[in-house]
Amino acid sequence: MKPDAVRGHLDALLLATLDGKQLHGYAIIEALQVRSGGVLDLPTGTVYPALRRLETAGLVSSEWSTVGGRQRRTYRLTKAGQRALAAERTAWREFTAAIEGVLGGGPWPAQA
Amino acid sequence: MIDIDEYVTALDRRLRGPGHLKRDLLAEARDSLEDAAAAYEAGGLDPVHARRRAVADFGPAAEIARGYQSLLALAHGARTLRTVLVVVPLVHVLWEMNRRFWMGAWPDGDIPLPGWYLLVARFNDWVSWGVAGAVLVALVTGRVLARRGVGTGRLARLAGGVAVAAVAAPLVGSLSVIVATASVDVSRLLELSPPVSLATVAMYAVMAGLGVQARRCLVFSAA
Repeated sequence: MKPDAVRGHLDALLLATLDGKQLHGYAIIEALQVRSGGVLDLPTGTVYPALRRLETAGLVSSEWSTVGGRQRRTYRLTKAGQRALAAERTAWREFTAAIEGVLGGGPWPAQA
Repeated sequence: MIDIDEYVTALDRRLRGPGHLKRDLLAEARDSLEDAAAAYEAGGLDPVHARRRAVADFGPAAEIARGYQSLLALAHGARTLRTVLVVVPLVHVLWEMNRRFWMGAWPDGDIPLPGWYLLVARFNDWVSWGVAGAVLVALVTGRVLARRGVGTGRLARLAGGVAVAAVAAPLVGSLSVIVATASVDVSRLLELSPPVSLATVAMYAVMAGLGVQARRCLVFSAA
């Protein structure tokens, strides 16, 4: 998948990856790749400024903590981040339902 | 293809801004690159190629640095605005206290002051408080805009513009009073006691320092 296509959804993807978890940057990148079946392909270096931007926006919080014996900056969702993720999921479901209705190839509804 | 050390050095050279944040960002980038290299090595690549692959995945340094630079510019901008918020009114209050201690009320002088002069003096009396209020509003607005998803680059440029204006306004006020006084009755300037003159020099030195910080806001946000 083209990086430009992913970039527009990067914030929502990062929020979803952190849902219920506290992860360091590389673990977030790995989770993105695993959950997308390796399809999401963007420069990994773009993830870190995006995480800090989300932190500035109050959607994630971060701290240095010891993971696997090494000091890592780990991220977690804030309450505002959880609300933003729920809103993103709702918007995404509405969007995909609308696009599926047109592109999905099923029968067109009868005209009134 | 370059190694992790060379890549982090290249990023370091491209980034300008608060040292502690820059070190933090670079440490995190290095951690990520080392993690990626270790994963590739575990997958069977030799160490040299694993590290180069990790660098290639991270993205071109010039492109990646832009994202990091906007964070640094925003951090510097926010810090400068917080400094202006405290220092500009503090300098004004300290200068006034010092002036009142050494000189008391302003002398009447031989020449009556015109109405426009009093307007200039009144502007200079209040401009520091106006600046503090405007900067406070800018900081709160910036936080709201950040929460609404406005990009860090745009916020950094906004902070830089506000910082420059916030430093320029008191300087304009102060210089206006000096020019106005010189044009109305230059002897009033010569009546300033040495401690007041020294405080004036110190005030301009502090404002010059703030001016340098404000200019850096614009430089960092344009980098």
